[in-house]
Amino acid sequence: MSSRAGGSNSEYVNARVRARRARLYDEESYRRLLRMSPAEIARDMEESTYEREINELGARFGGVDLIEYALNRNLARQFEAILDWAEGQLYDLLVRYLRKFDAWNVKTLLRGVYSDTPAEEVRVDLIQAGDLDADRLDRLADASSVEEIVEGLSGTLFGDALADALEAYEDAGLLIPLENAVDREYYEHLTEELGIAPELAEYRRYLRAEIDFRNAINALRLARSGTDIDPAAYFIEGGDLFSERDVRRLAGDIDELVAYIRESTYGDDLSEALDELEDADSLVGFERALEAAQLEYAGSLGNVFPLSVTPIVAFILAKEREVDNIRAIARGKEAGLGSEEIERELVIL
Amino acid sequence: MAEDVKPTRKNLMEIEDRIELSERGHDTLEQKRDGLIMEFMDILDQAQDVRSELEADYERAQDRINKARAMEGDVAVRGAAAALEEYPELTTQSKNIMGVVVPQIDSSKVKKNIDERGYGLLGSSARIDEAADAYEELIESIILAAEVETAMKKMLDEIETTKRRVNALEFKLLPELRENQEYIEQKLMEQEREEIFRLKKIKAKKEAEEDEEETVEVESEEEETPERVSADD
Repeated sequence: MSSRAGGSNSEYVNARVRARRARLYDEESYRRLLRMSPAEIARDMEESTYEREINELGARFGGVDLIEYALNRNLARQFEAILDWAEGQLYDLLVRYLRKFDAWNVKTLLRGVYSDTPAEEVRVDLIQAGDLDADRLDRLADASSVEEIVEGLSGTLFGDALADALEAYEDAGLLIPLENAVDREYYEHLTEELGIAPELAEYRRYLRAEIDFRNAINALRLARSGTDIDPAAYFIEGGDLFSERDVRRLAGDIDELVAYIRESTYGDDLSEALDELEDADSLVGFERALEAAQLEYAGSLGNVFPLSVTPIVAFILAKEREVDNIRAIARGKEAGLGSEEIERELVIL
Repeated sequence: MAEDVKPTRKNLMEIEDRIELSERGHDTLEQKRDGLIMEFMDILDQAQDVRSELEADYERAQDRINKARAMEGDVAVRGAAAALEEYPELTTQSKNIMGVVVPQIDSSKVKKNIDERGYGLLGSSARIDEAADAYEELIESIILAAEVETAMKKMLDEIETTKRRVNALEFKLLPELRENQEYIEQKLMEQEREEIFRLKKIKAKKEAEEDEEETVEVESEEEETPERVSADD
């Protein structure tokens, strides 16, 4: 696990992040992109913060793939820069949060070797924005078995969890135990030993909300699937909304689960999404509402403690959302979806 | 061709037997054709329903995967798909509809539980679930459509074959057999007439010969009688 000695330099990082935040796409930019074709979007990106990535990847990829890979590479580059600026506890907090990309990369490596995908194709799908160094990821992309990847990750955050889940993988022949072990390890480590510093109180609250939202959507997915799975197996500790017992009790009855969320502290923020969920046969709208609520919540926390870690996390979320939105517009255009339909899928704050 | 047939009574009997058999076969095939057409109409209705469901499922699956690719990214969707190596299993049996052997396709491991799809639940999203759901339903529709449409095509082929057989019997074989029958009957009648005529001729000739013989006898007798009288005298 990486760490950097010394005190936090939140002021400095926040100042740099504020400048980057000002360059994020606003509502008007998205509306402009909605009127463009994928090729025009790529050209537009060439004149924005994505210029370097579009130029780097332009010879290798084309169309919407170019846009998606450029977005991912820019995301990685931006977050890598934040980690480079950060020091001390701030670095530890941010690296914990950004390990979600390590989790992504580990899962990509596992899926690649599981499905015999060529190493080069696996490499382009990696988003190097986390803590795992590029050399290790590069080496692991050439691995020939799942066991080799698990062994190659020993000594990292995911090493022990993956080693423990390896037997279950070998028994079932499915990646689920390994993937769940990676995600669980990420979430559990996120809230571990955060301390009781008052400036971190808001950040802790935000992380709890993120875990609550994750647990809520997963409980709803399990309830919707109607399968006989122990919901506790997919429960993440560290949130406020559910206990393991609550999830086990509620996952069998979707109406009760919706009523429970409605009565919780998130009830007001999510009431519209819950209404939609009760009417529609889809969780996508609710998931989108959760993403918007999470983004809004992180943004508001950033205003309360402008020099803490939360404005930086709020920027990370906003940047991820920008990437998601641009990709959604380009992919939506590629698939022939109408502008209004694409706009409904966007989360713009 | 009627001229190729030897006009014998044996052949006539054989042709009569063949006509009877062909007429029976024609009736049976006609019944089979009508039955097949009725079965085909049922399958056609079913196939139309299955086809429209398939189109709706395809539209839905495309919409879901487009949205999943848009919101989660192509990389995430491909990754989730790559997390499963288990393919659906198909077993085919056959069933018989009025003599037509049509396939019956049984599938397993198409519809999967959320914990059987390979990708982890904790790090994935409902969009991926819905795309997977929609594609599982699409695969089930494709399998059903394959079963129904193959049955439909086989029925159609069989109807076509039966129709050709009925037509061949009705417009080719039976008319030819009847023509042959008529030809032989005519020939036989002609032969009979010739025979009668010949017999009559023979009879007439015989009678003429007999008459001539009698006349000769009478004349010779008459010639003998005056000589005897003159001797007495």
